[in-house]
Amino acid sequence: MVERREIEHLGDLVRIELKDPEKFIKQVEEILNYFDKLDNVQFDSDQTLRKEISMENLRDDIHEPFDNYRKLIAELKKDQNNYTRAPKMI
Amino acid sequence: MNLGISAKEFISQVREGSLSVEEFVAKTLDRINQVEGKVHAFITVDKNAIDKAKELDKKIKSKEKVGKCFGLPISVKDNICTAGIRTTCASKMLENFVPPYDATVISKLKSEDAIIIGKVNLDEFAMGSTTEHSYFGPSKNPWNPEYVPGGSSGGSGVSVSALECIVSLGSDTGGSVRSPASFCSVVGLKPTYGLVSRYGLVSYANSIEQIGPIARRVEDIAFILNIIAGKDEHDNTTLDNKNEDYLTGLDSGISGRRIGVISQMIAEGIDDDVFSATNNAIEKLQSLGAECIPVSLDAVEYSVAAYYTIAAAEASSNLARYDNLRYGFDFGLEGYEFNAYVSKVRSNFGQEVTRRMLLGAFVLSAGYYGKYYLKAQKARSMIKSQIDKAFKQVDLLISPTMPILPFKIGEKINDPLKLYLSDINTITANLSGIPAISVPFAFSKSGLPIGIQLLANSLEEKKLLQAAYALQSITRLPEISI
Repeated sequence: MVERREIEHLGDLVRIELKDPEKFIKQVEEILNYFDKLDNVQFDSDQTLRKEISMENLRDDIHEPFDNYRKLIAELKKDQNNYTRAPKMI
Repeated sequence: MNLGISAKEFISQVREGSLSVEEFVAKTLDRINQVEGKVHAFITVDKNAIDKAKELDKKIKSKEKVGKCFGLPISVKDNICTAGIRTTCASKMLENFVPPYDATVISKLKSEDAIIIGKVNLDEFAMGSTTEHSYFGPSKNPWNPEYVPGGSSGGSGVSVSALECIVSLGSDTGGSVRSPASFCSVVGLKPTYGLVSRYGLVSYANSIEQIGPIARRVEDIAFILNIIAGKDEHDNTTLDNKNEDYLTGLDSGISGRRIGVISQMIAEGIDDDVFSATNNAIEKLQSLGAECIPVSLDAVEYSVAAYYTIAAAEASSNLARYDNLRYGFDFGLEGYEFNAYVSKVRSNFGQEVTRRMLLGAFVLSAGYYGKYYLKAQKARSMIKSQIDKAFKQVDLLISPTMPILPFKIGEKINDPLKLYLSDINTITANLSGIPAISVPFAFSKSGLPIGIQLLANSLEEKKLLQAAYALQSITRLPEISI
């Protein structure tokens, strides 16, 4: 059973203020019940897929400046003095 | 002027001077104006396309060197970054986002003188299979606007099908290129994982998604793949395809090829018209000299649960970055503490995105990780090993792309699990990384498109496209009447 407080806790984890948690309860529960079929699989091995890359095949760790950084920060919220603004941390 | 020509025809006409790029692009923009009210494929139309067309015409006239695309108009799914053109992911959270750089696929196409005509609709952040989950409203099926066009690359499928462009780029995480291709009667390819760079594709589920082309003809898919495939220093998962040319030998036929018919995908629960179309396709391929044998992949039964577990987990992690501070919509900061602000603005994600993030957080959370996420990874590995085994016996696999016909807009929007289950035939290719293509093949008695899916082993796109081309060559389909 998925309960309202569990859904609200998940909402906290993914940082979303849920306007109507009830709406999600039944659907999430139904989907999780379906996912439960994974629990009944008899696996012939414990293997999971992973790609291994040897150290020498990694790219070099070189600093490459992005020449258009002004555009990167163009949409930051700013005040009249052009300081970047963010909400209060404490 | 015929807007329904193939890329190949467009390029040869422009090259020999019987067609001007400006004329074609202008007509395409007119066409978009005329049909958008009915189908809603586009989020943004790029009005600068006409200037680029004029520039190219000048270059062609003065015999300057021109790229392979000769001004080919393409549409691009709105989760692929285009410098200077907003890229919204069909989300309020990115409503005003204008990327400062081009995705690798875009810079490759631009360097070959393709013209981006606009950005097309999708389910928000590519999460969905109907294009109903777009902040900008649903796209509609050009064959019957009361019906869904498939998704999540619905705008790509619609824009190609409704002659609003010649080719489109979509992205395929669980069937998002092939589903709209099937529902809109066009061709759509999900390449081998790593064949096409994901640099500049807004991340949803990195370990399974790929950018793929949608076109009206198989030869156009091969043409675009030639341009976008290959190693990219910006995406470490890309593979070296040794500059394979997918166009040469496209018409080699399929005589002697062994094709495995996936039993689990032509079973109970599939639509009657889809069932008979699939059998008909198998007979036709046999008449061309292919040998079709049944193949059983019993792990397919777990694929939907494994796929949605993995995709939701990756989504909940990827979408954590949207805090509306670095980019986003206008929402004042006054009076909010940091966490409260972020949670407040993030309530603007649509329902499907929110649902998947909740699921993702759940399957990754302490106590459930082993029960869901780890099991999903094991199921994925089991699917891959069954696929590997199948390709020891056969060259290709076949199934219907979608087990059902397009359905009415709104019909299934409140039943997410039912929608997830309709992805059963497409997600196997994503979980195992192999390439798969949807080829338009038939129409139902009710006049709705049916696509056939072919699958090949990793990096065997050439073999896959040859089979798709053979199937296309014996198929006659009606022209769009919209």
